This record gives sequence, C-alpha cells and structure tokens, in this order.
Amino acid sequence: MTTLRIAGGTVVDPANGIAEKVRDVWIRDGRVIATPSNPEEKADRTIDARGYVVMPGGVDVHCHIAGSKVNAARMLRPEEKRGEGEPRREGFRSGTLGSVPSTFTTGYRYAGLGYTSAVDAAIPPLGARHAHHELRDTPVIDKAILVLMGNNHNVMDRIREGEHASLRDYVAWLLQATRAYGVKVVNPGGVESWKQGQGTVATLDQVVPHFDVTPRQILVELARAVDDLEIPHPIHLHTLNLGIPGNWGTTLETLKALDGHRAHLAHIQFHSYGGEPGETRLFDSKVTELADYVNAHPEFSVDVGQILFGETTSMTADGAVGQYLHMLTGRKWISHDVEMETGCGVVPITYEDKNFVHALQWAIGLEWYLRVDDPWRVAMSTDHPNGGSFLAYPQIIALLMDRGYRADTLAGLPERVRARSGLNDLPREYSLSEIAIITRAGPARILGLAHKGHLAPGADGDVTIYSPDDDKVRMFSLPRYLIKQGEVVLNDGELRSAPEGAVHFSQAEYDPDSLREIEARFARDYSIQFRNFPVRDEDLVTAKPWEPEE
Amino acid sequence: MPSLPKPTSEPGDSIEQEHRDGTCVGCGCLCDDLTVKTQSGRIVEVTNACHLGRHWLLQHRPEDQGPVASIQGTEVEASKALEQAAALIAQARFPLILGLTRTTTEGVAAALELADLAGATVDISVSEGDRARLFAVQRVGRVSATLGEVKNRADVVLFWGVDPLTTHPRHWERYSVEPKGRFVPRGRADRTVIVVDAKRSATAEQADLFLTLDPDTQFEALHVLRALLRDAKLDPTHVKQSTGLELDALIDLRDRLKRAKYGACFVEPNPGSSGASARTEAALAFVRNLNQFTRFVLLGMGSGANIPGAEAVSTWQTGFAGEVSLNSGAPRSLRGVTSAETQLARGQADLALIVGKLAPAMLSEQARAHLARIPRVVIGSEAMTSSENVPPEVTLRSSTYGVDTPGTVTRTDGVVLPLRPFLTRRRPTDQEWLEALSRRVREIQKKG
Repeated sequence: MTTLRIAGGTVVDPANGIAEKVRDVWIRDGRVIATPSNPEEKADRTIDARGYVVMPGGVDVHCHIAGSKVNAARMLRPEEKRGEGEPRREGFRSGTLGSVPSTFTTGYRYAGLGYTSAVDAAIPPLGARHAHHELRDTPVIDKAILVLMGNNHNVMDRIREGEHASLRDYVAWLLQATRAYGVKVVNPGGVESWKQGQGTVATLDQVVPHFDVTPRQILVELARAVDDLEIPHPIHLHTLNLGIPGNWGTTLETLKALDGHRAHLAHIQFHSYGGEPGETRLFDSKVTELADYVNAHPEFSVDVGQILFGETTSMTADGAVGQYLHMLTGRKWISHDVEMETGCGVVPITYEDKNFVHALQWAIGLEWYLRVDDPWRVAMSTDHPNGGSFLAYPQIIALLMDRGYRADTLAGLPERVRARSGLNDLPREYSLSEIAIITRAGPARILGLAHKGHLAPGADGDVTIYSPDDDKVRMFSLPRYLIKQGEVVLNDGELRSAPEGAVHFSQAEYDPDSLREIEARFARDYSIQFRNFPVRDEDLVTAKPWEPEE
Repeated sequence: MPSLPKPTSEPGDSIEQEHRDGTCVGCGCLCDDLTVKTQSGRIVEVTNACHLGRHWLLQHRPEDQGPVASIQGTEVEASKALEQAAALIAQARFPLILGLTRTTTEGVAAALELADLAGATVDISVSEGDRARLFAVQRVGRVSATLGEVKNRADVVLFWGVDPLTTHPRHWERYSVEPKGRFVPRGRADRTVIVVDAKRSATAEQADLFLTLDPDTQFEALHVLRALLRDAKLDPTHVKQSTGLELDALIDLRDRLKRAKYGACFVEPNPGSSGASARTEAALAFVRNLNQFTRFVLLGMGSGANIPGAEAVSTWQTGFAGEVSLNSGAPRSLRGVTSAETQLARGQADLALIVGKLAPAMLSEQARAHLARIPRVVIGSEAMTSSENVPPEVTLRSSTYGVDTPGTVTRTDGVVLPLRPFLTRRRPTDQEWLEALSRRVREIQKKG
C-alpha cells in the first residue's frame, strides 16, 4: 500500500462542486481516498501543493493518435520531421513530432500537458488490432478507441431489414471483438455512396445506393442500439457535409432527427457553416442557431475541433472529404477504403490567418466554446491533428479565459471575419472551474468514465497540479506535477516515469445465438477468417519477458 | 519468467494436431485459412494452401537444428551468448541493425527498442523497389483499399507488370478475380481483367485484354494515359515511338478504365531496375487522376516478408518507415545517408546486428567487405550458410517465422493478421532474443 498526500492545494473539482477550495487530496493504491480522520496519519509521500492549482487529470474525448490513418500520415510527411525530435533518455524512448507525433512521444506529450486519458475517435473495426498495437506503445495515458459503424454493410443491411435485435447484437459483438469503448458514426451512408462512385450523400433522406437506407435511419438506429445496450458513451457522431459551406442546416436536421436519443457531436466547428457550397463569399457562422438548439437539449454534447493557424495534417474516415480536400488544395492525398466498413482520407493542410475562410473557421470554433451555456456539454478538442495539435490546448484555454487576448488575435485577422462571426460581441471569459470542466470533468462525464475527471473517493488517482500564472499558456503548458494512478510521473515539471496506461473498452452483451449469422456474413464478405478478426489479450498488453534457464 | 522450451519432444507431440485458420507467409497473399496437421513435431499435411505455401511448410525440418547459441561458431549456453552480444552492442559506437524482413511486427518493435538504447541505425533490408515505392508515396500519396474491397467491388482489374497466377497463386481466387462479391455477384464473369506486361504471362493468358509493354517504357505509357485523361491531343507516331504501343490501344485502355465502376490496379515496383520511383509515382498519380471520373484504387502485391508490418512499427515508433538513425538521440532519417549501405560502405558502422537473412544483392561489394570486417551478431532461424567464411561473433538461433512463431504480420493492404504457431517452438523468437538483449544492454549502461 502506498499513499500520496497532495497537501494544501487549491482544488478545482467541479464534478464534486468544488471550485478553488484549499484542501488535501489523498491517494492510496492508485485511487483517491477520503482524507483520513486522524490528522497524525502519514503518507508515504506528501507533495506540498500550497499555492498550486489541483485538478483531475485531463481527458481528451476526441483525437486521432493511433491506427492505420494516423500512421499513414506519419509515413506521408517526413518533411515535417527535419527539426528537433524527442531524444532518448533513461526510461524513455525517442520520437518525432510534426503534426502527428510518434507513439511514445504522443504519450509523453499528453502527460506533459497534464492529460491522463485520450480517446481515438475513428478506428475501422478491421484496423482495431493495429490501433491497439500503437496504443500499447503510447505510454502514461489511459486510452480507448471508438469503432466506425456508420457505413458498415451489415449495419445497413440489418437496418433495411428492420432487424433491431440483430443490429444490437452485431453492435455489441463488434465492440467486444475490437475491444472498443464506443460507437462512431462518420458521414452515415455517405462514405459508402462515395465508395460506389456515386458521390457522397447531401441530405439525411437521400437513399444510399444499393443498400436502400437513409443516413437518417442509420444514425437514429445506431443511436437507439447504443442506448438500448446501455453503452456508457452515446453515439459519437460526425454527420454529413463536413467542411462544406451551408452545412449547418444538415447539422440542425441531424440533431432534430435524433429525437431524444443521446449523442455526442464531434468537431462541431466543421459543421456550423452558413453560405453555399463552392461560394466562399457567402461563408458565415451559424453557431448561434446550432448552439441555441444544443442549449435547449440536454441529451447532446459537442467537442469543438478548434483550428489553429499553421501546418497540420487532416485525417478522416470520411473518404469523400479526403478527396474534396485534395481537389481543393492540390496536395498529396492518401485514400484507403476498408472493406465492409469505411473509407479514409489523409491530406496535409495549412491554416493561414490571412485566409478569410480559415480565419472564420477559427472564430467559429471559439464561438462554440462561448455560446454553449453549459460547459459540461462542450469539450476541448482540436480534433487532433485535424484543426491543430493537442499541444495547442493551452493556447485555446488562454483565448477562452482572456477576452483581451481574443480581441487582439481577432484584430489581426481579415476584416470580413468580424462581420461574419459574432465572436467580437462575446464578452464571456472562462473561469478556472469552467476550464477544468471542458478539459477533464466534462469529457469524462460525456464518455461515461465514472472514475475519471473528478477527485472524490474511489476516483482514479489521476491528478494534475498547475502553478497559477497570469500567462495561461505557460500555466497550462507546464504543469508542475502529474499523478497517474497514484504514481507521480511528472515531478516538478519533469517527466520521471512512463507507466503503460490502461485500455478501456465496453462489455456490451449479445445473444450468443446471433454469432452463427454474424460469422456466416463475415465469411461471405471479408477477406480474412472470422477467427482471425477479434483483438486478443496479447494485442493489448506487453508480453512477459523471456529469459534463458540458468 | 517463462523459460526456454526444452529441446526434447513434448509428450503431446506424437498426437496428431490440427490447426485451423493458419496464416501462410509464403507470399504476399498472406492467406489466413490454412489447415495444418502436425504430428511428432512435424507438419504432415497442409490444406487450402497453394503449391508454394504447401511446399514451404512441408519442407520445414525441425531436426535440422544445431546449437541454439554460439560464439564464433562454437556452441555456448544461451545466457553466455547473450552477455557477449550485449557487451559488443553496448561497446559499439555506430551499431547497425539490419535484416528484419522475415520476422513478426513484434520482432521489429523489439529491434527498434534495442536500437534506441544502443544508438543504432535501423535499416529494414527492403529492396530498391520497396524504397522507390515509399519515396513515391511520400511525394504524391496513394489511393488504395483493402483486398476485400477488390473482392466485393472491383469490376475492372488491371495487373500492371505483375503475374499473380505465377507469383501469388491464390490472389486470383481469393481477392481479385474469381470471388463473388457484393457488387460483382457473378465473380469472374462480372470483372474485366486487363494485363499490361512485358510478355504474355500465365495471368495474361487468362485476361480479357493483354497489352505488351516494355518495362523501360512504363513511365512513358503511364504519362500518356494521364495526358489522355485530360483529353490531350497526342501525336500517334510520337506515342508509338516512346511507348511501343499504338495511341488507339492506349485510348481504348483509358476508356475501359474510365468505364469501371470500381477499378483496382495491382503493381509492384521492379527491384533493381532504374527509375522505379518515378514509375511508381506515375502509376500512383494516374490512378489518383482516374478518381476524377470513377473510383479506382492501387494496391501492391506484397511478399510474405512482413515488410508492411516492419515499416508500420518503425513509422509509429520513430516517425520514419526505414533507414532511421537513433545515433544522435532523436530519430533521424535521410534517404541514402542513414542507410545500411552507406554506413557500411563508408566504414562507419562498427557492429552489425543482423536479424534474419540478408539478400547479398542488396549491399555493394564495398559494404559487404566492411560487414565482413566488423563484429556481427546474427539472430535467425537458419543455420549459418557455408557462403560465410567467418562465423559471426555471436549467433542466436530463433524459432521459424510463419511456422512456430507467435505474433502478428501485416498484409500489403495494412490488414494485421495473427500468426498461429503450428508447432511447439524449441527456440526463443527473434523478439524474445532482442528483448533479452535490451535488458542486458540497459544493465551494462547503468553500470556505466
């Protein structure tokens, strides 16, 4: 038994109603415990946190850090890695940065930012094993994957046939087989339509060729299945028309279609545009209209997908968007169709502050943070690396906490942005407590990770300790301490150890009799054997070391 | 800790065992539906495999074993050999790790860990063609798909300079031509098969259209096709001169490809031939441009050597798919500079750790001469061949990839498959040797 006492810090634990209160946090064997009643009780280690800010470890609800498309982006962009890399040192592996850091570096950098959990939001089931292998090499943080189902042939077949029970069984089986945490839907039916050469779908009621179902049916039936199966995280949705001017109508229709089902809308910034396709002059922000709807419907949450100016790599399961970006920018393009399941597009992109469209995208993202009244339902994200790197989170925090900084940045952007976005009129400034909500407490609640994002007894001993600073970028870029599962991994600003981190997955149940049909369809459709599909224990954990006998 | 399997027969060995859904590493198909029967530590029957896979598995002779570990050709205890190898690696200033093509992805991961500790350069010993492929993809990208997409959708299949019926016997029946798929319910009858190759190959015999094309004019032909996609007006004489083909034949080819609902083009960069990178780039760009009209994807044929797995793990751990130097702390990679060839030919490398077998053709004479001068540690399943005059400083014999080794391999389309060992292994895997070496190197470094 080892105990750690974090003594006298200013605790910010919004999930337990604690906003900036001086108190102790005790951790024993990796879990938060109640402060011992005996004041003489000694801990194995005490961190003097007086004057510091103590928060639960950060939780990222939506990022892309592992698997085939992330790795394709790493392979595609050697030109980004000519600068400084991360050198090896005792107990730590070397790595590279660029817009898509290598795996060990990703783990270290999340930890260095005060984060202890991250969810990769778009893994094809057939690519789950590969993704888990990368996560096995992504240390410190806890991890989870969401698997793609919105263009899955068997999903669409079951929906067309009206076989709800069969759909539920299949969803549960897929989650189990891939050790996934939740269900992701990307451009439902649209990727399949595009794969057939018919272009993506533009409306919720456009029929998906050959499958004879609509995007509306797909997203509603999957949302229903996820709710019926009581999966902790609701359906995680990237709806139609991502990035297309005028797409806000589709986004509003999507919210309405869900009609009472829970849903998390990913990178909502990319779905909030007014105007008309192909007509940038009319491009404007429709955050007010959408945020009003979200505010009135507690079953919805969003993450933003904030863009930052600079070089990055876009990556999406929405193959049609990949092609669109390639045609738009003329830059190199990786596209990879995955049988039965999804597409994939990877294209380098540079967001420029002198570009009206990019600048407006930046403003639209910030509008989302400021226009959703309830911070529990808007999560910090850059849709890493799509809008920018997760390493930019401190910069976003600063923009949210300081309207002056926001105004200064906005003043340097093209004039038209101020006319097309109401950002300049939003005086709201985030409090420390609200920052804690959008970066840890809220995402944990949205994910249904009951042990994360708070510091009540029983919670995971994941704690970040920051040094208060008027310079919020500095404060949130350089935490003083990070405790992961009770272990002090970041000590006085220096990363000292890199434990493996756990993988979280859902244990939804399915009718065992349904397996026969699932297997028969799998054998007919896939290019591998059914028995070789499921992720195994050894895909998740590092193997035991071997030694010769003496 | 699990110990080394005993080098005697296990009691259960005499019983006939059947292993279903086995993965064959005989060629790039990586068929994962093999049934392998074993008895008394031997493979006795293989079903579902093609003749290449069956032959490869049946010729496995576990009794050809010899010592597990040796120093300068003399058998020693495994632990002693490990100590010696670790000491050499820890002493080396510019160690080089090469080979790594016929091992599991986990084996390559273990080599990268060791390289990181030792400040080594890791160069996966791929062919010039593979290097060209990587470089071309890094320049233009790639529009591709998994093989199941080809099985279910492809109504036009273009074999460009490849002959699967000879080199990848089950490709045709499992993935590309014969399977009945969702959008091609009649299988072969629903697909147009086109072969473009230097000569009328076995595959060409079965094709609906065959065009003869000299490998040296592939580049020109691909650029003519790209121009034709843009409806450029071309001079027939000029086209004939540069490609050897009639302009009309190329126009007909373009039209057939454009008419595809979902086309699949299979290519393989020819190792050893000049201009492989430019040619691959032209093919990638041509297929990409076809997507302005229809859906079209490009796939490689691959080999059984797990190059996709090795490149993938190298990429996720270091950011680079190969030729990566960890000598200065952070990973660096510069084509042709951080390569095994350069480090050897310039006399820089002072120790070589070879995992698996090296194809001698991959290194220049100068590089080979230097390799013979520096200490070598060899990890591999095969006994030392007589072609080597001087035995390696340390030899660590491992289990056989694809026969008795657990782990995973990656198909050329990125699908990761588990290996199901058919036999009880009697020797550690490459991965286990490498991890044991890392632990020892770390200990030596701590003692300083």
